[in-house]
Amino acid sequence: MINENAGQIMTSGIVFDIKEFTVHDGPGIRTTVFLKGCPLSCMWCHNPEGQSMRPQIMRSPAGERLAGREYTSAQLAELLNQQTAILSENEGGITFSGGEPLMQAEFVAEVMDLLRNAHVLLDTCGFGSEMDFQKLLDRSDLIYFDLKLIDPAAHLHYTAQDNSPIFSNLKTLSRSEKPFVVRVPLVPGVTDTDENLNAIARTIAGLRGLERVDLLPYNRAAGSKYRCAGLEFRPDYDELRPVNINMTPFEHLGVKVLVA
Amino acid sequence: MNERLELMKNRVRAGEHRSLRRSAPIDVLAECEAENLSWPRRVARLVRRQCEAEQVVIGAEEQIVFTRTLPAVPAIYSSEDWRRLTAGRTLHELGPVSNICADWSLLLSQGLLGRKQTAVDSRRRFSNDPSAVEFLDCAIEDIDAVLGLSARYAHQARVMGREDLAQVLENVPAHPARTFQEALQSLRLCHAVVWLGGNYHVGLGRFDQYMWPYLQADLATGRLTITQAEDLLAEFFISLNKDSDLYPGVQQGDNGQTLTLGGVTAGGDPAVNELTYMVLRVARELAMIDPKINLRLSAQTDLELLCLATELTRIGLGFPQYSNDDVVIPALVEHGYQLEDARDYVVAACWEFIIPGRGMEVVNIGAVSFPAAVDQAVREGLVGGDDFHKLLDRVKVHIREQVDHLAETYSHLLLPPAPYYSLFMQGCLEQGRDLSQGLKYNNFGIHGAGSSNAADALAAVQKFVFDERSISADALLSALDSNFAGGEPLRKILEEQGPKVGNNDPAADDLLVRLFDDLAEACEQRPRTGPGGILRPGTGSAMYYLWLAAGHERMREPVVGATADGRLQGKPFSANLAPSPGVCVRGPLSTLQSFAKINYHRIFNGGPITMELSDSVFRDSESIRKTAMLVRTFARLGCQQLQLNSLCLDTLLDAKAHPENHKNLIVRVWGWSGYFCELAPEYQDHIIARHLYEIN
Repeated sequence: MINENAGQIMTSGIVFDIKEFTVHDGPGIRTTVFLKGCPLSCMWCHNPEGQSMRPQIMRSPAGERLAGREYTSAQLAELLNQQTAILSENEGGITFSGGEPLMQAEFVAEVMDLLRNAHVLLDTCGFGSEMDFQKLLDRSDLIYFDLKLIDPAAHLHYTAQDNSPIFSNLKTLSRSEKPFVVRVPLVPGVTDTDENLNAIARTIAGLRGLERVDLLPYNRAAGSKYRCAGLEFRPDYDELRPVNINMTPFEHLGVKVLVA
Repeated sequence: MNERLELMKNRVRAGEHRSLRRSAPIDVLAECEAENLSWPRRVARLVRRQCEAEQVVIGAEEQIVFTRTLPAVPAIYSSEDWRRLTAGRTLHELGPVSNICADWSLLLSQGLLGRKQTAVDSRRRFSNDPSAVEFLDCAIEDIDAVLGLSARYAHQARVMGREDLAQVLENVPAHPARTFQEALQSLRLCHAVVWLGGNYHVGLGRFDQYMWPYLQADLATGRLTITQAEDLLAEFFISLNKDSDLYPGVQQGDNGQTLTLGGVTAGGDPAVNELTYMVLRVARELAMIDPKINLRLSAQTDLELLCLATELTRIGLGFPQYSNDDVVIPALVEHGYQLEDARDYVVAACWEFIIPGRGMEVVNIGAVSFPAAVDQAVREGLVGGDDFHKLLDRVKVHIREQVDHLAETYSHLLLPPAPYYSLFMQGCLEQGRDLSQGLKYNNFGIHGAGSSNAADALAAVQKFVFDERSISADALLSALDSNFAGGEPLRKILEEQGPKVGNNDPAADDLLVRLFDDLAEACEQRPRTGPGGILRPGTGSAMYYLWLAAGHERMREPVVGATADGRLQGKPFSANLAPSPGVCVRGPLSTLQSFAKINYHRIFNGGPITMELSDSVFRDSESIRKTAMLVRTFARLGCQQLQLNSLCLDTLLDAKAHPENHKNLIVRVWGWSGYFCELAPEYQDHIIARHLYEIN
């Protein structure tokens, strides 16, 4: 999507939410921009309205709202710049999450370029072209990089995508020497197996820039928004099974690990 | 908290001490009539007889004593005489002086005998002034009565073999307190007697300032350890909860038993001390509704203190409420308060800034209904073919009419004498004047209620009717008249597409600022009030967010139907400073930015920005710290007052369905916290609705 504005070519993008005071999306006080559209369809996704790039109506007991609004990069940056000074004063900044920011890399890069005095955090699933990834990486101060499943077949089954571009972007990330955090959603019986956690630990141990691993225990409210979005939540794993929170594989390899 | 205190707390919550209460009120009226006593003498007699009739109750493990056994305050006039006495006059709320704050340091540093000496000296000096003599006689009569009561407590302590306690009670409240325990005991008794005399919303003032010297000395000499001091403080706080059910208020919990912490000294230095922290720690441990805590802060306040304060918010107490010294003190000074007094301000029952011992201010004489003023202006303006500017002029006129009406009503204010309460005010004994005759500051306060709905309504009219011309004047008027019957699409446009306060959007915020400026102007142009004061405009709304919307028998203000912001008839208005109910705004930072725009140097009667944060925000120490930063941001942006609440929707819904499982669930209602299960259903629903929208 491209608009003419004041003689400059400007990209526009689709955002499904802008949340202020997100306390769990990085250091300090942050505002998180949720980009709409994601290349993965994780079976446990708790933001189903983030998957499609099209605007969607969300219906709940509190009423209806439209998820998905188009902004030009200048509009979005202007909105965010109203608060970047406050965010910086409070050790924080702007987090770009989703959905998946890489899906709208051109737009996100423009917004990042227009931000004034903001610490930028890129929260990504890592799936995207190397060029797009590099573009956003260059403009970010900290990266939250998701790793879900190391086994290619399992990854394809649960996210509907091949994981090799993710590993390749992880290498790019490490070469950049930018600080990053690996985030692992612990889905019972799927990603929380000792085997998968061991494989993740081996994959990331020793990578330059790696600050720590955050384990994110499965949230049983994952399915709660599907009905609002008019979608069906169909996990083929047992949601009620206790999550295996195993920090040992990381500790063994000297990787700092936290449970979020 | 240790076992003894835990038990004590549970007993008070269970109300075991209520069985000790006498069932019928004592009779004071008969002797007042037989002796044909004057009004001041009747009030003094009332306090005296109440003290005399109090039964001594000393719990086996109590270190701070006094348990009220007289549940009622008896009449001192027959209803017929009362009518005659008050004919043509305005009474504030229930009548007796309420919602002011004593200078408790007068009691602690001088003792009642010290105060008595002052009274006796004045009596000699004013021997030719009958009204001064009468007032001083009344004061002395009540001092003697309280001394009699404390002597009976001391005697009983001796009989029980409680030497420690007897020694305390033999010294205070008669003499100056020597220790932290004596200071707490003296305050407990003398504060309770104010309630016993029928005055209410009895504030506790700058507790961490006037109590600190006693604690500091005890800690320095090793008389107390920190833990021992905390236990005494906890017991004092528990004792303040004993009589909550006897206090008059709109809902139980609305009792104005507030204290204020932090801020600066009279000289302008930081006033936070170890007791500031201790009060917050102990209140967090206790988790009871009294005392309600206000914390004064500035842009420079330590994050560590704000983190501890946030811990209280986390457990759902609904306090502390924050007031910003950077904004409050200059505004008070600008309006005639001496700098040293302004620096000594405390927060009244709900939000208003008052000076302990120096103010006989009536800080809430009523509310201006912004939605009513806007509604009238919109109707007249649209029918009359106004441009938007002219419509705004009409708003100003209607705001002024309401202010004038309230001010006229209160020009006939009648304040009953309060000789006992006067003991703890600056200058009363010295000048032989009852506090009801005025103190150093005698201002009135007015609040502007429903501000966000009103600003949103104006913003919608400006956008849709005047700028875009997408809604015709006729269509809007008939929709308002019919309460949007058959006009749901129109209502949705107004509700969802209009500019809203809370989004840092000038299209709505500028109108909010304008409403308050109109209010300020109307107040500033009033002649001085009866007792020589000014009108202080504020941003609170108390119960008016429900009353103005649905009507109430105790209300003088106009009721409003459906409004141009898409609000249906009968739906509540915004409470204090908060986005309109049901409006989903960008978030807490934008909301603070919106409300930071109000000209608080003119709007200085208090009234907090009210925000609910989901309890999931408070998961770990890191997010507690971030919430503390949010509080600091509130101060740095130049906002005036903030009330933060932590709420879990599921808990509230479950508490409504199964109150028996949630007897200790505390929520903030407007200027105060109460037990959720003890609130009337409409207040419960409003709190639930507030949260429902917050997470949307």
